[in-house]
Amino acid sequence: MCGIAGYIGPGDAGSIVHQGLQNLEYRGYDSVGIALASDDVTVSKTEGEVNELTVPQTENPSTGIGHTRWSTHGEPTTKNAHPHTDCTGDVAVVHNGIIENYDDLKSELRESHIFESDTDTEVIPHLIETHLADDVSLLTAVQRTTQELEGSYAIAVTAAGHDGVVVVREDSPLLLGHSDDATYIGSDATAFIEHTDRVTYLESGDLAHLTDDDVTIYNDGEEVERDTETLDWDADAAGKGGYDHYMLKEIHEQPPALRQAISGRINELATSVDLDVDLPEAYLQSVEEIQIIACGTSYHAGLYAAELLEEHADVRVSVEIASEYTFNGGRDPWRTLVLAITQSGETADTLSALREAKRSGARTLALTNTLGSTVTREADDTVFIRAGPEIGVAATKTFVSQVATVTLLTVYLGQVRDSISTENASELLSSVRDLPGAVQQVLDQEQAIKETAQAYADSDSFFYIGRDAGHPVALESALKLKEISYDHAEGFPAGELKHGPLALVTPNTPVIALLTEQTRPEKTLNNVKEVKSRGAPVIGVSSDPATTSHVDTTFDIPQCGPMEPVVANVALQLFAYYIANEKDRSIDKPRNLAKSVTVE
Amino acid sequence: MQAVVLAAGKGRRLWPLTENRPKPMIPVANRPILEHIVDALDAAGAERVVLVVGSNQERVQSHFGNGHDYDLEISYVVQQQQLGTGHALLQAESQVGESFIALNGDRIIESELLERVWDRHVETDDTVMSVTRVDEPSRYGVVELDGRDVATIEEQPIPELTKSDFINAGVYAFSPDIFAAIRRTDSRGEQALTDTLSNLMADQRVRAVQYRGTWLDVSEPWDLLEVNDSLIDREDSTYTPSTTVDDSAVVATAATIGDDVTVHPQAAILPGVTLGDNVSVGPGAVLENAVVLSDATINAGAVLTDCIIGANTTIGPNTTVEGGRTDVVLNDAVYHDVTFGGLLGDNVSIGGNATVEPGTIIGNHATIGSASLVSGRIDDNATVTRG
Repeated sequence: MCGIAGYIGPGDAGSIVHQGLQNLEYRGYDSVGIALASDDVTVSKTEGEVNELTVPQTENPSTGIGHTRWSTHGEPTTKNAHPHTDCTGDVAVVHNGIIENYDDLKSELRESHIFESDTDTEVIPHLIETHLADDVSLLTAVQRTTQELEGSYAIAVTAAGHDGVVVVREDSPLLLGHSDDATYIGSDATAFIEHTDRVTYLESGDLAHLTDDDVTIYNDGEEVERDTETLDWDADAAGKGGYDHYMLKEIHEQPPALRQAISGRINELATSVDLDVDLPEAYLQSVEEIQIIACGTSYHAGLYAAELLEEHADVRVSVEIASEYTFNGGRDPWRTLVLAITQSGETADTLSALREAKRSGARTLALTNTLGSTVTREADDTVFIRAGPEIGVAATKTFVSQVATVTLLTVYLGQVRDSISTENASELLSSVRDLPGAVQQVLDQEQAIKETAQAYADSDSFFYIGRDAGHPVALESALKLKEISYDHAEGFPAGELKHGPLALVTPNTPVIALLTEQTRPEKTLNNVKEVKSRGAPVIGVSSDPATTSHVDTTFDIPQCGPMEPVVANVALQLFAYYIANEKDRSIDKPRNLAKSVTVE
Repeated sequence: MQAVVLAAGKGRRLWPLTENRPKPMIPVANRPILEHIVDALDAAGAERVVLVVGSNQERVQSHFGNGHDYDLEISYVVQQQQLGTGHALLQAESQVGESFIALNGDRIIESELLERVWDRHVETDDTVMSVTRVDEPSRYGVVELDGRDVATIEEQPIPELTKSDFINAGVYAFSPDIFAAIRRTDSRGEQALTDTLSNLMADQRVRAVQYRGTWLDVSEPWDLLEVNDSLIDREDSTYTPSTTVDDSAVVATAATIGDDVTVHPQAAILPGVTLGDNVSVGPGAVLENAVVLSDATINAGAVLTDCIIGANTTIGPNTTVEGGRTDVVLNDAVYHDVTFGGLLGDNVSIGGNATVEPGTIIGNHATIGSASLVSGRIDDNATVTRG
């Protein structure tokens, strides 16, 4: 949510920052701005997308900072767009996160300062202005300012007549990139990945002064060293590789992403799993409950994980939407493992729930796609899903990779807890191994799915139903459709339909039924008959021709054992994509949504 | 240097593999044919490559992306309808503003050829075309030379009537003027590049570059086995750490093994075998001179000789593809005495104890029951049961 990009070096700061913002646009895109500094500061901003912004014209700017915004405080307008400046126009600030005490600060400052926007951010440049009046360096002024701020934030500041850029990280993500002659700033590495893969992750509380030839990092007033790491992402992350949308590219990347997720982790000969989990075995054996905390698509992967873990790891599992999480109910923190699932590793709701779990004394395990992300530093241990960068706001390949990885985790925990038979372990592992091939087979049927999507595109609403593992897949498939097509879509446990939602079913509300293995299709067929008798068209997703004789349209998917519902999800990703495409929606950047949600 | 690679070809003779992937994406020694070509382009100093893609274009795009992994800038143009090689090249017109190399995406060549064709074009400013000598020129466009220039190009399918052993090797250097020349060409509703070249020869020189290096064409299914065998690295016996080979299994040095492969106890992977990513070979299975595409499962005791196994296909226990020399009928032509055990498509499922006779071609998604005896051509989605 919101993206920051910045540059200090001999290159064309304006166009480098502009490109960085373009790369970051998936984090937010309702307004955008850039400040370039040389002897003075020039700011240009606009509401709308990054490509609508005119880069400020300045002779040889030495530094540039930019921001693409996803509104939290104040409307998405030009005046609310970042960078924000002080009264003199000499200090420019971009900010990601929330200043919680901005109201108090603003009423104090208002006596001597003029505010132009409705944002929380604007207090920062005015505070810096106040401190600079004491004739201190920009670094000191920012340092003093941060002592007055409460909340979570990543900021970058540049000021006329002062050398370089000062950045601060307090919870919200921020990292630096280093090339031979320049330093880059980004909310994540996509901001500058085409220039360098050498990065420094700042830690919470870090304040860094970046100048032409040096980077100095301070924490709590002391100078500190932070490691420089080399990313193994490639710059392809920033390109669509000939596809119309990132989402379609990422849907097609699922077979290799899945192979990558399981690569080297399954020993077929020994029927075992190596996930490199460092939590002590004795502890894992003694765990009485696993609490899964996650949001959105990750939450659906969590529901899927619960189905698997309860059955095979013989442990009670509760799945909590992270923003609703509290550690209570008389749980024993020493017998509870908290599993946080977040693609970006920066999801504020999930991080805040994770901190709640840690405060309560539970151990924590993270499942994420992002190396070096906040969750990897805060959780006791991390398992990576290795899906590669995902740019489309609607998650696709990361969902299937999350489920494949939690399946491996299930087998691992089941074996540590001695609760899974070799036969079941072997069935699950061979099913995971079959996933890439089965998913490819669905992708090969793209044309048929596209035609069905076009035929149903004008429907009033879409209902997805499934049981067991079919339930999280129904929820996830409905979420995909509503995210990108803006159609009303809901997922339900199949049996729940008749307890209320059936009232919504009409001949113009197609019902999509998950009829694969692990979804008790014979029972769901009763619900199919219920909706058919109300005249609703039914799309069945199944590998078994016998179960689809009652439906109007079938998405045939290959047999894939216990992982079949995941294969079904891929067919429904394509279904959602082509409905949205038929309606000409902004598929990679759906209205009001952002990829990485770093505010609570 | 810029290059345009024609990668939209369907390759119908390689059915059923070309239903789900364009011919240039068929793997040899575990890398698509097109990747061998892209590597050669990189080695020859190309900076930008335009891939002309058609059906199943996603396979190409997902594999090559923007070219970052190949140190090249790769972009794509789509040929919606198959209206000839000239028409395919024409799709790239908006992407190339200066002279460029053009080549087929389904013939494996060395970077040296690309460099020589390019150098000749830079020297002369004329259209350049490469020629090579093959055993059966009648299968390709036969080229007659006049000194170091091309005199004629013609299709001559009758071996006795070919006037030259030289054929069109499918690598050209053009200036942007070629696009106008293609537009003037009409080959019975299509635009064939060779017709454009024949027309050009009436009023300008077309230079020939003679080439003797590696020139590998996968035209019929058995060519795939031969080309695969010739590209296997015979020195390299290592595999990636994600692959597991039981100590009691045998893997020949002259075999190529992908990532995440499992080879169970007592299995034998003999020379000429390529195993794609995520393939599992069961206990006691024996593979020789075989190409196995990714995600396939070979169960215990299967014997696979001289054959191609499609992606995600499952071979039941003790099933045999016996291999050896045979006569094959393909698209109404009879090919005598070729070494060809069979070609199984993608997602085929064969039960236990089945026998696949030499020369059998099985379509995608076919299901072959246990203990069946299959031969000839089996359609996509067919079900064959014993009896």
